Amino acid sequence: MRRRLGFKMLLPLMLAFMIGLSGCTSSKGNDAAQPDPTNTQNQTEGEKRQTEDGLFSIKDFSNIKTNEGEAIEGGTITYGLVSDTPFEGVLNYNFYSGNPDFRVLQWFDEALLTWDQNYVYTNDGAATYEISDDGRTFTFTIRDNVNWQDGQPVTAEDWEFAHEVIGHKDYDGPRYGSDFTNIEGMVEYHEGKADKISGIKVLSEKKLQITYLQSTPSLLTGSIWTYPLAKHIFGDMEVGNMLSSPEVREKPIGFGPFKVESIIPGESVVFTKNSDYWRGEPHLDKVVLKVINPTTIVQQLKSGGVDLVDSFPIEQFPDNANMSNVEYLGIIDRAYTYIGFKLGKWDEANKVVVPDPNAKMADVNLRRAMWYAVDNDQVGKRFYHGLRWNATTLIPPSHPEFHDASNPGIPYDVEKANQILDEAGYKKNGEFRTNPDGSELVINFISMTGGDIAEPLARYYVQSWNAIGLNVQLDMVEFNTFYDRVGSNGKDDPKVDVYQGAWSVGIDVDPTGLYGRDALFNFPRYASEENDRLLAEGVSEKAFDVATRQAIYKEWQQFMIEEIPVFPTLYRSQIVPVNKRILNYAIGDGTGVYLHQLAVTQEKPVVAE
Amino acid sequence: MWKTTLRRFLIMIPQIILLSILVFMMAKALPGDALSGLLDPSVDPSMIEAQREKLGLNNPWYVQYWDWITKAIQGDFGQSFRFKMPVTDLIGQRITNTIWLSLVTLIFTYLIAIPLGIISGRYNDTWGDRLITGYTYLGFAAPLFIFSLLMLWVFGFHLQAFPTEGSVTPGLVPGTLEYSFSKIYHILLPALSMALITTVSTVQYLRSEIIDTKQRDFILTARAKGASESRIYTHHILRNSLLPIAAFFGYEITGLIGGTVFVEYIFSYPGMGQLFLNSIMLRDFSVVTALVLLYGIASILGSLISDIILSIVDPRIRIK
Repeated sequence: MRRRLGFKMLLPLMLAFMIGLSGCTSSKGNDAAQPDPTNTQNQTEGEKRQTEDGLFSIKDFSNIKTNEGEAIEGGTITYGLVSDTPFEGVLNYNFYSGNPDFRVLQWFDEALLTWDQNYVYTNDGAATYEISDDGRTFTFTIRDNVNWQDGQPVTAEDWEFAHEVIGHKDYDGPRYGSDFTNIEGMVEYHEGKADKISGIKVLSEKKLQITYLQSTPSLLTGSIWTYPLAKHIFGDMEVGNMLSSPEVREKPIGFGPFKVESIIPGESVVFTKNSDYWRGEPHLDKVVLKVINPTTIVQQLKSGGVDLVDSFPIEQFPDNANMSNVEYLGIIDRAYTYIGFKLGKWDEANKVVVPDPNAKMADVNLRRAMWYAVDNDQVGKRFYHGLRWNATTLIPPSHPEFHDASNPGIPYDVEKANQILDEAGYKKNGEFRTNPDGSELVINFISMTGGDIAEPLARYYVQSWNAIGLNVQLDMVEFNTFYDRVGSNGKDDPKVDVYQGAWSVGIDVDPTGLYGRDALFNFPRYASEENDRLLAEGVSEKAFDVATRQAIYKEWQQFMIEEIPVFPTLYRSQIVPVNKRILNYAIGDGTGVYLHQLAVTQEKPVVAE
Repeated sequence: MWKTTLRRFLIMIPQIILLSILVFMMAKALPGDALSGLLDPSVDPSMIEAQREKLGLNNPWYVQYWDWITKAIQGDFGQSFRFKMPVTDLIGQRITNTIWLSLVTLIFTYLIAIPLGIISGRYNDTWGDRLITGYTYLGFAAPLFIFSLLMLWVFGFHLQAFPTEGSVTPGLVPGTLEYSFSKIYHILLPALSMALITTVSTVQYLRSEIIDTKQRDFILTARAKGASESRIYTHHILRNSLLPIAAFFGYEITGLIGGTVFVEYIFSYPGMGQLFLNSIMLRDFSVVTALVLLYGIASILGSLISDIILSIVDPRIRIK
């Protein structure tokens, strides 16, 4: 699965915590093409979303701001970057790594291709594309009026140059990976055996052709590198010096709707409109971006200190749901929380998963009973006011095309859980059950600290499992230790049997990076031939047909429910407040609302009553 | 006098070396490293391993320590993993903010402490004194970060009298008068919040010092000679009571270091304290170690200054 920006994003989410790592928030609607939102519906303003029992539902949130009132000419808005860490200041798509930097970048630069609500590239962006019959060769045409903010045209050579820089052996950003090695001649170029990348051809000033080694449907959902690098600026620079150069940090350039006027490192950025923007002149004169601390976000919003924020801590939402000067937008997050079972080891020499048939959790009946035993519906309601809810499959509903909504997963049923364990021979010996062979069964469960909810939530799971007679021991550990023990270094802690983790998934639905046989991040260390087959089919050529691909992933989702190497517990939502004076704003993908349309109805932000 | 200073200086060197070893080992003892948060399947694990090797994260600690300290002596603290820029540059960006904040806080601290201390010492056991001591007890009890949040809420958001984040209004051109004013304006509230809390110990100290001096024999003598009350206070009592306060100046600096970490975080003020907290969370070790070392050196220097001032004003404590 991958993120919109081309590189596959599967950062672990820290539960309800605000460290910079949860930088996997969803994308803005500035790159999308389809006019209607997918999974949400519009709602009239001011209506109470809360039900009588204090619950909310993401279904009641729109991802597009209600437009009320007339836009005034120009105007200045303040955009709050909610983070307790300042942005790093690597302000170029080809080099940045942190999400805060991305939030800065989106105002002044953009991708050449846009995509729709299913994350598939469209022909509505700054460039269009055509695919050859064998699906391997793409021809891109950049629109004539797409220019850098210094007036130079964005050319095919700039696009080629971006590939050359990222593929260069001295490149020190995070982008070079399987998306790039899939380009013909890239590996040879990277190793220094060739001067040029043989698969990339500049056909004319605005036309570029790229040939890929393997044709997969993932190419269309984020695997193409769509960010050019200005050759007239970076052309003479050593690749190793680019990342730290002033052209990246102090005077960055792009071809987006706004341009950077001034930067105070880590603190604020002022943008002014780019009158030469290819979609048309932006409405607003100025955008001020400032970093605000999550602890003060509510006050900032109420006082009108910020109009927009990039994210909002969901635990603060219930208390502020009726804030009078904002409208809340919401989308389903591309993420899920899950319980994982350790079923094997990581073979460091061969870099493959080695399932262990004798692992403590190797019996699927035990795993299934544990899923039946937990009531995630209540967890979502009690702990998250309904803003997280029971998860059913391993493809979240943020991918409406592929999420199998008809699959109920495994619902809460304690009797069933007990029955499964009884039938499988886990007999009770006193308070707890033993293994079928009569030996003692103690299950070690680890979960991450962070936030107020983490510990009570983990305790709830332990209690639920105790209730069906399983002796589960909880260990709460800090983020780094947690992933160390789960196996992010390949050195799994053998004492861990069950863990609670979370994944943020990218825009491509392919889950191979998490559940493939050679994926280090396959923490359950699960592998089977059927799984290999389904994952391979999902990215095969025949999967270009959406219906076929849907069928494959439908089968995979069901297969994972039968095998249960992990089970999903909660899906998540994202809620973002927007000041009422803002017009033409949307979050999520495929909204058809772009940043140059952003406007305001009055000079000053609306202040809370 | 010079001998004392020199001796005190020489003691500092092993202190700093010991500090650097401690700092380094503690940083290494933290679980995880800068790369352990990077769970991204598109990055080949062998690339991560190669990067670990390149950064020297797999070497034994004494090798890593030696690599680090030899460079550090030359002023090179390595690269920040997160900001991808030299740690020295990164700290350079932040240190001026922190120095200004500390300086203004220090000024506020004394501006508050001296009048309050004098009033409450001179008129002890009056209502004024009780009010002031009451405030100091409150100050001792209130945690700095809670108090700062309160100040931020009241003055920043409720009354909107002060800016609530950052070190300067976005969009101003450095070097202009407006820019400098904006900088000072942004410092006032955090500095005041910190000063109001940190000043209480100085107030108390000054108060008891004055009460103490009041009963000394030489004051009795002065009174017996018929010196006026105000003369006694300004010339005899105050002078003697202020000296130890001046001597604590160095320790005050040390105290500020701890304070700025919280205050910068709450006011989103981009100084070293904020950088420090972030770097710990993200395991940006090169920054953490450099900062702790810097903080450590600052506090060692602070106590050195105090010792020197003390030995100037009070010959009794000079080291023989």
